[in-house]
Amino acid sequence: MTRVIEVPSQFDDRTFEQFARAFDGPDGERLLFDAHGTQWASPFGLVGLLAAGQAVRERGAERPLLTLPGKRDVVHYWARTGFVEHADQIFELHGTVPRVQSRGDTDVLLVVTPIRGENDVHDVVDHIQDRAAAMLTGELGLEAQATLGFAMALSEACQNIVEHAGTGGWVAVQSYNWRRKLGRRVVVIAVADAGVGFRQTLEATQSKRFGDRWGDAAALEAALIQGISRFRDPGRGQGLAGIRRYLDRWSGKLSVRSGTARMSMVPPWDDDVPLADQLSPFPGTQVLMIVPAQAE
Amino acid sequence: MIRFDLRAILQCTVSSVYGDLVTRRTGQAVRTGVEERLTEPTGDVAVIDFTAVRCMDFSCADEIVGKLLLQHGRGRYFMLVGLDEGHMQAIQPVLERHGLAVVGQDRAGSLRLLGTIPDPARRAFGVVATAGTAAPSEVAARMTVTEDVAQAALDDLLDRRLIQQGDGGYQPIRCA
Repeated sequence: MTRVIEVPSQFDDRTFEQFARAFDGPDGERLLFDAHGTQWASPFGLVGLLAAGQAVRERGAERPLLTLPGKRDVVHYWARTGFVEHADQIFELHGTVPRVQSRGDTDVLLVVTPIRGENDVHDVVDHIQDRAAAMLTGELGLEAQATLGFAMALSEACQNIVEHAGTGGWVAVQSYNWRRKLGRRVVVIAVADAGVGFRQTLEATQSKRFGDRWGDAAALEAALIQGISRFRDPGRGQGLAGIRRYLDRWSGKLSVRSGTARMSMVPPWDDDVPLADQLSPFPGTQVLMIVPAQAE
Repeated sequence: MIRFDLRAILQCTVSSVYGDLVTRRTGQAVRTGVEERLTEPTGDVAVIDFTAVRCMDFSCADEIVGKLLLQHGRGRYFMLVGLDEGHMQAIQPVLERHGLAVVGQDRAGSLRLLGTIPDPARRAFGVVATAGTAAPSEVAARMTVTEDVAQAALDDLLDRRLIQQGDGGYQPIRCA
């Protein structure tokens, strides 16, 4: 049997829950991810889709199928972001596979990039700094100081994969004009893996402390709010705190989804909830960071 | 005095390709590179030079600055030089988390106290840094406090190895 998982028409962090609900199902079926009708995907959608496919592969299931978007401009864009190149290694691709090289377009600050080890983090930071600085200060009108923390935040988010996920993941950074939501330009960092997630990472040291409350939401609270790490070293647990400080300083948004919960630091311009619990289970951890242009 | 060019150590210990201090393992490798040379008989001031470092993240700052000070800060004077705002943004929360303080010099040459330090000691440091050499009476006068209060603040700085005592009074750590 093949189970069809429809990729939302507009695939971003909001519609990700619709995708996660469809993804949650019995093992043993072959999965077909159908993106034929997808019109647009944010970096969060793209790296989330790769994480879903990776999770299927890592549990030893049959290679999942992926129907690429039917619209030429959409699938070409996906190819230019680097998504198709990596999807080809995970999924059995269907539809017209464009022969387009991935490249950093003006809006693509960092193509979809695998994070498997320390060197990948170095490469990402090395690659992005000059372009991010030009984007943040030039197009988003932020002070030069905004560029300083950007690479730090990106580095820490990627390192979490290397240190905690137990498997690889992906990162992508794009800039786009968020007319409908904000009426401003934003830079979006999306990081996703299909690893063990926060709850399993912190279970051994934190589950007793939280007692009955222990779960995905409590694990996110421990890591994001209390700065707790699975390591006893008191210097640990500063990465997420640093990301929070950076985004808070620049009125940005941080959202971390792990397992069945999502915790967000919600800026005034957004109407997301601080904590969404009892969501459909989804493997690993997905991090979204949004830095908006300065308000005029 | 011994001087550590962090970029050079990064390129010797991790990779000649990279110029950024990112990832905890990189920080561990660079700190080990520093510690290996700390055993050399080179005086009691260690200058950590960030001039050629582009980006440093929190994990690296914790490994290099936090752990170095925790493990060696009681027996040696440390001074961080060539700092830009980005470096300080990474270092400051690390020091606060560990309850540490260190003397930093920014790229314009100004001395700053980074980390956690009581206000009287911070003000006394400002006086010493500006004056170059200051006796307790001078520090007290500039702080408009009693000499006992000034002396206590100077003792605190001395105990934390953030200033030195020399001829004629207290001085900032000398790195030249």
